[in-house]
Amino acid sequence: MANTHMLELEKVEAGYGQFRVLHGVDMHVDKGEIVALVGPNGAGKTTTLRTILGMTTLYSGDIRYQGRSITKLPTHKRVELGITMVPEGRGLFNYLTVYENLLAGAYTKEAWEKKEETLEWVFQLFPRLKERKNQIAGTLSGGEAQMLAIGRALMSRPKILLMDEPSLGLAPIIVLEVFEIVKKLRDEGVTILLVEQHVKHSLEISDRAYVMEMGRIVMQGPAKELLQSEELKKAYLAL
Amino acid sequence: MIDPALITNNLIDGVLMGLLYSLVALGLSLVFGLMDIINFAHGDFVMIAAYTTWVIAMMLYVDPSVTAIITVPLFFVIGLAIYKIIIEPILGAEPLIQIAVTVGLGYVLQNLALAYFRAGPRSFPAPWFNYSIQIGPIGIAVSKLIAAAVSLASLFIINYMLVNTKFGLAVRATSANREVAPLMGINVRKVFAITFGLGIALTALGAALYMMWGQTNPYLGQSFSLLSWVIVAMGGLGGVMGVLYSGLIVGVLEALGSTFVSPSARLAVVYLAFFFILWFRPRGLFGRR
Repeated sequence: MANTHMLELEKVEAGYGQFRVLHGVDMHVDKGEIVALVGPNGAGKTTTLRTILGMTTLYSGDIRYQGRSITKLPTHKRVELGITMVPEGRGLFNYLTVYENLLAGAYTKEAWEKKEETLEWVFQLFPRLKERKNQIAGTLSGGEAQMLAIGRALMSRPKILLMDEPSLGLAPIIVLEVFEIVKKLRDEGVTILLVEQHVKHSLEISDRAYVMEMGRIVMQGPAKELLQSEELKKAYLAL
Repeated sequence: MIDPALITNNLIDGVLMGLLYSLVALGLSLVFGLMDIINFAHGDFVMIAAYTTWVIAMMLYVDPSVTAIITVPLFFVIGLAIYKIIIEPILGAEPLIQIAVTVGLGYVLQNLALAYFRAGPRSFPAPWFNYSIQIGPIGIAVSKLIAAAVSLASLFIINYMLVNTKFGLAVRATSANREVAPLMGINVRKVFAITFGLGIALTALGAALYMMWGQTNPYLGQSFSLLSWVIVAMGGLGGVMGVLYSGLIVGVLEALGSTFVSPSARLAVVYLAFFFILWFRPRGLFGRR
């Protein structure tokens, strides 16, 4: 293929055991983009992200990262290649400290060697985490916990970051802060695939977007165009 | 009235034995905390290791404690193999299946020992440390003192490893959230295998220490299993320190039971106290969640 995407899903059918969720998903993410994946609850957005990281059952189709198929690799190997995820609900190591959570994020060999440097970057992005360095992660506020989940993912030095509902359950003002951070990360060279319930906000900061329904991509295009689409407005933006 | 010197002697014995129990229970605790699997065959590994220690000690004619140099690495490898063959396939299975498999493994080990060594007890006839330090009426068995010191040192080393090394971080992170750990690049299966191997290696160390004065028989595993479960349940998931304190409590309870009730009722006393503690602290004394 002449034009190699950073991440590419081709006719992906996946789910959990016998329970098929994705029915032939085609999508791609190019380097430096923010790509939004939106759609109603239960459409398969989380399953798509989990499938990219090998955390579901893949029945057929292919997932390529930098032109190379990664479907045979276990999750931790995909992380070593530079893909990681901020999981839904944050998934912090609750009784470890903030600092230990961040260190765990740098577990891969490559990331471990650069951990001091990366830590400085993360503390610069999230000064609150530096203040709370020795606090037990389970005692953080919702916003701080989300910052830690993002910071921890960044510690692995991802080339592409999958974010699953990073604004879920946060106060409106913190939600805006999260979107600011997503933009900032892109500016610092991290490619992002974003799953969000705040459709309007996420389309506003995204380059392109996919709309998913019942395990299929039903609409796609530049985020600005989708924002203008009557169909989308009716379905998700309640306008 | 019971002689205060006897009580003191028994209490000291209880503390020393308690440390050894902690060492044996630590492997069970690590595996349970990490994989949510209770290895009901845990004590039977102590028994098999005790026979292995006995065979090597007889062959080389050295004190059983010395055989740990061979048995600890050997049982680490055995632990890795058992993990791969028996434990990994039942990860995430129904608890009933996990119980059936590990209880079955315990019986297999018992029957192997019974078939090969017969029921009679075995002990090393010429232990090196078969004397005690007398302080007035108080006597401390040197072999048990060594066992307790080695146990305590091992507990601290493992605690240090868990808190200060990269592998320890992987163990604690995986314990805290097994689903998310792979997203850090942690190879969870590898962490499971090494931890299980380590747990079995610790039973071998415990067995080598125990055989300095003790004798083994095919049923030795039962009492070690029972005591280990109590220690783990009482310690909650409180890490190494929880196991250490619970082990000491169990050792002392056992000593009190044999002093004030009867040596043959000591396990009953431990269990009654355990039920009583769980009444007030259902998550264990040092539990975290």
